[in-house]
Amino acid sequence: MSYQRMWKTPKSGGRSASDESAESYYGVPPIHKPHWKWLIIAYFYLGGISGLSYVIAELAEVTGDATNRVITRAGRYVSLGTLLPCPVLLILDLGRPERFLNMLRIVKLRSPMSVGTWVLVIFSGFCTRSVVAQAARDELWNRFKCAPHGIKAIQSRWMGVAGVPFGFLLGGYTGVLLAATAVPLWTKNALLMGPLFLASAASNATASITLVLCLSKAPHRALVRLERLEMCSLVVELGLLALNRRQLGQTIGRPLREGSTGRLYRFGVQGTGIAAPLMLTVAPMLAGMRPSRWRLALSSLLTLSGGFMFRYVMVIAGHRSADDPQATFELARRGSQESTGSVTDVNVHPVAPS
Amino acid sequence: MTAQPEDLATHAPVGFLTDTTLCIGCKACEVACKQWNSLPMDNVGFTASSYDNTRDLGATTWRHVAFVEQFPGNERPTTMPPFQSNWLMMSDICKHCVNPPCMQACPTGAIVISRFGTVVIQQDVCNGCGYCVPACPFGVPELSPLDNKAHKCTFCYDRLESGLEPACAKACPTDSIQFGYTDELALRARGRVDELRERGVEGAYVYGDQNAGGTGGIGGLRVSFILSAPSERYNLPAEPELPQRKSVPNYLSTLVASVAFGAMMTICLRK
Repeated sequence: MSYQRMWKTPKSGGRSASDESAESYYGVPPIHKPHWKWLIIAYFYLGGISGLSYVIAELAEVTGDATNRVITRAGRYVSLGTLLPCPVLLILDLGRPERFLNMLRIVKLRSPMSVGTWVLVIFSGFCTRSVVAQAARDELWNRFKCAPHGIKAIQSRWMGVAGVPFGFLLGGYTGVLLAATAVPLWTKNALLMGPLFLASAASNATASITLVLCLSKAPHRALVRLERLEMCSLVVELGLLALNRRQLGQTIGRPLREGSTGRLYRFGVQGTGIAAPLMLTVAPMLAGMRPSRWRLALSSLLTLSGGFMFRYVMVIAGHRSADDPQATFELARRGSQESTGSVTDVNVHPVAPS
Repeated sequence: MTAQPEDLATHAPVGFLTDTTLCIGCKACEVACKQWNSLPMDNVGFTASSYDNTRDLGATTWRHVAFVEQFPGNERPTTMPPFQSNWLMMSDICKHCVNPPCMQACPTGAIVISRFGTVVIQQDVCNGCGYCVPACPFGVPELSPLDNKAHKCTFCYDRLESGLEPACAKACPTDSIQFGYTDELALRARGRVDELRERGVEGAYVYGDQNAGGTGGIGGLRVSFILSAPSERYNLPAEPELPQRKSVPNYLSTLVASVAFGAMMTICLRK
């Protein structure tokens, strides 16, 4: 075996051993960060879009009129298109991809990853049903002689609605999954993580459907509705983000304020991803005009890029947070450290135990 | 005929009591662990400014001796007291929680509690998803670059099966690492803390003990430590908590958000 465990010594210039050990154990992180990188960031992004596109498509189908038919159509295809890479990304991220079926060995409600696996499996069924039904409506099966039998049986719109909870879960469970770890940035505001990922997934899904409809010259009436939805989701997302950052506090919220993740959070997630699309759509409205098709397409693109940056920042800032001993210590302090003895220098007692 | 070894599972759970006031930092436990479990070597060199050369617990380091240099008044000391001689030393290890966060996180069921009450990762089931790694509030499991699976201390499962104490406890020359049944060890720990306090080490306490803040939701540790300084000095969180404790409220908040978004979508998608 030629492997050696290596590490970089985290040592900033001019700091003495006494400085380092006064704050922590020589700056060594007390917890381990996860290995999750691009594959998981991409999965969080695509899974969220897939889940919420499905929800929008099916809700548009049951609540709306004929105008919503284009929204349903686009939503269903977007949902399947973004769902297909998801299992591949997840399997590739495993240390032992050939053992991916072990994920389906058990159902474990206490493990958000197990819940997520099963949600993904069940959701795939619902998503496929919707697309098969949509293909039948679009008369795509007519070209094939071996058209699937029993299409009529699965065309009930209520079957689509039955999958809506799973669509929501697919968008929101990722936040719960991150919150169920010891990483301070993820678990401090555990209650907000699910809604936060859900809100981002909602705005991204709306933006991707809007983008498809803008490019396919859909009727303006459908676009107006989506634009309304996108603005509402973006406002909710902005509010949740602000609340989250405020509640994190000075030490634990550091990765969202400082360094490259802090910059990306400010200018990328909040600026490019939320403020810019909101301005693009609100400005013409204030002037009493309807935003043009190109303006809507651009604002959707910006929202989509913001959603990706949000996932990236949350995952990478989580790594930084896990590497910060002060954040971990602050998370685990609930006030009784004094009672255990704030004895700083026990060793000055000249005692020799037996 | 050899005598039948004692079946340790009959009085389970078993555990360790690590009395850090007795640790002399010889690293015999680290070496014994590496040898018994055939673990590869670590980086040769020292961490930061201490005599620690394994840095932290990881996939191939299941015992780690921490060397905490003491600086009374934040200055390098010029005298050496006989007790603990300006250094706190602690042999760290997986805490073998009663309700382990890593086991809760594991989506494959690879992490189990053995019949001895110890926490073991089944290597034939683990698929390297890596979720146990950030779930542990003590930073114990890690994915190994050798086989891409999660590894941590097995509490010498094979030795327990044969009625033997784990290699690290066997090798410890000062009995800083004591192996035994957890109920007996808890009594012994209490006695030792009282003794230490009597002798003037007023800061002595048992880490993870209910009086020292407890282990919110984790339900206690099978591996306890007698510490003589705040736990953060030894790189242990003051009051660790089960991260999955908040999962049910989190799902509920996500549910509330889902209903709100569903209503918002229904309204926005109407005429």
